[in-house]
Amino acid sequence: MGLTHLLAWRLIEGCEVVGVWGRDYSRLKNFCEKYDVRPIRDLDRLLRDESVNIVDVCTPTYTHREFVVMSVEAGKNVIVEKPIALSIQEADEMISKSRRHGVKFMVAHVLRFFPDYMRVKDLVEQHAVGSVASMRAHRVGPAPSWSSWFLDRSKSGGVVIDLAIHDIDYFIWVKKSMPISVYSKVANLVHKDYEVDDYALITMRFPDGAIGFVEASWAMPQTFPFTMKLEIIGDKGMLQLDNHSPVPLRMWTSKGVETFSPESLQVGLGGQFLPLDPFYRELSYFARCVREDLEVEVGGEEAKKSLLVAIAALKSAQSNAPVAVGG
Amino acid sequence: MAHFHADSYARAARSLPNVDLIGVYEVDKVVGSRFASIHGINIFSNMDELLREVDAVIITAENSLHHEYAIRAVECGVNVLCEKPMTISLSDADDVVRAVNRSRVKFQMCYVMRYHTVTRVAKSLLEAGRIGRVLAMVGSNRVRRDLPVMRDWFVDRERAGGGAIMDHTVHLADLMRWYTNSEVEEVYTISGRNINQHISVEDNFSTTLQFENGILGHIDGSWAYSSGYYTWGDVAVEIVGSEGVLMIDAFRQSVYFIGDAGPDKRLVWHYYGCDADLEMVKSFVKCLVKDERPLADVYDGRQGVAVTLASYESIMLGRPVRPG
Repeated sequence: MGLTHLLAWRLIEGCEVVGVWGRDYSRLKNFCEKYDVRPIRDLDRLLRDESVNIVDVCTPTYTHREFVVMSVEAGKNVIVEKPIALSIQEADEMISKSRRHGVKFMVAHVLRFFPDYMRVKDLVEQHAVGSVASMRAHRVGPAPSWSSWFLDRSKSGGVVIDLAIHDIDYFIWVKKSMPISVYSKVANLVHKDYEVDDYALITMRFPDGAIGFVEASWAMPQTFPFTMKLEIIGDKGMLQLDNHSPVPLRMWTSKGVETFSPESLQVGLGGQFLPLDPFYRELSYFARCVREDLEVEVGGEEAKKSLLVAIAALKSAQSNAPVAVGG
Repeated sequence: MAHFHADSYARAARSLPNVDLIGVYEVDKVVGSRFASIHGINIFSNMDELLREVDAVIITAENSLHHEYAIRAVECGVNVLCEKPMTISLSDADDVVRAVNRSRVKFQMCYVMRYHTVTRVAKSLLEAGRIGRVLAMVGSNRVRRDLPVMRDWFVDRERAGGGAIMDHTVHLADLMRWYTNSEVEEVYTISGRNINQHISVEDNFSTTLQFENGILGHIDGSWAYSSGYYTWGDVAVEIVGSEGVLMIDAFRQSVYFIGDAGPDKRLVWHYYGCDADLEMVKSFVKCLVKDERPLADVYDGRQGVAVTLASYESIMLGRPVRPG
């Protein structure tokens, strides 16, 4: 995620990337050489640097609390990758400390910045489907191949806390309410050498009787294209989207077909910018919140909601019974 | 002739060279005589008379009548092709199983999705181990919400035995049993707020399954799709295996037609894939002629009823339930 964010930050007007700090300096140096950005050896010095307004924390989830707290205590505005944390205690500490230091704090729930998901929410708000009775989301693909910490439950929280949380957060955003109860089946289907859940089926009940269902999977083979699907059904209509249908650009080469979608920052094209990119939108939004002193919509409290639901889902899977959210 | 499928089964039967369609028995005289005239067959006002005339019957009455009709046919030694769900109570289902076991008749369920080319190819891919061991399955079998209300008994708890759960759990539950060679060990269902507020049976649900061999499953058979949807619905199953993934979307073989007649005619799907109703009737006839065992038999019918009723019980108890 660090690379994606770096490429996006560079395109945001009025922002300048001061430097990148990483936990492993030799890896960081390679990264910085490749992407032409200044490596920072000493994190404390970076945090003391008055010219730094924003810290973007893209480290693994289990380290979020440490780096967010350090940054807000240094008076920096912070955006942290989702999920906010692995536990409610960690989330609460980040929330209270960012408040105490009067800085902006945002959790990068990027789905809220996807143009297609935004359009669906707009349509729901315009009563295109009437009152929502059912929401189904699928977020399925192979396990992340770019980094190994995802497959360690103690670091990523597994597929529920890391992956399903996208759609849980989106449901909460669209419904403007929290589910009241959750039932979930969670399993390690294919990663038997790892301590991690790679598959989840989560059913939620909302206060008005609407059902939310999420399938989240890291259990697909590496050849399987990462797939997101969403369906929202109300008494007056329904909305469907998936990330494979809208393909405005295809390219055939000897390697086969490659498709390009405006919803993705084309890292492979050397960071060439496409204006619908959700990461660009997300980071621009945070920059604007900082610049214009706006309240951040996806702040810590808001991000804590989906974490509460995800934790309830894990409890449900453990007890094989529906679990009240936050209970 | 209550069920929509009655017409397509009758057409299928008539198209086969070694089948004569003899007649129809239907409590509702209007429905019965219309059906008889469409298919050019006799209408019987007495079921026993019909049963004396035929080798086999196809039961497509309201769900609540399946039990009585099936028992009477079996006891007269008449072979049965029975619309799903087989019955609306488990004791009735067990009754039918016993009657069939005592007799020499063939009893086949209208689990039409076992007879579709796409689902059969999937079955053979699974049996060949192409995606390794099956680990999880997520199925969707939704229909357009305007369809069930076109026949009033579908939304009448007395005659249908329930709503979308009764109507649509069995197709996917049966496919999953077939694919996993395993029985459902546990069912958890929640029923959501109705999508159509004007009907008294449920139309919105979410069912999570666990099979005896540990496989996870999920079924959504809600009558959820908007009436403007470009087809009647779908039968889609994603199957996660230890070495691959299989995606079934059985009715996605179609040509798009874009019309001009009005906003409700914007997009129409013209399906050109396998006629599963025909394949199912053909298979039934073959079982009779060659004295073979039906692919979906009375026991499969009973197990489908058990999963469906466990869903209702799970809703009532608010916890996972083991099917009876």
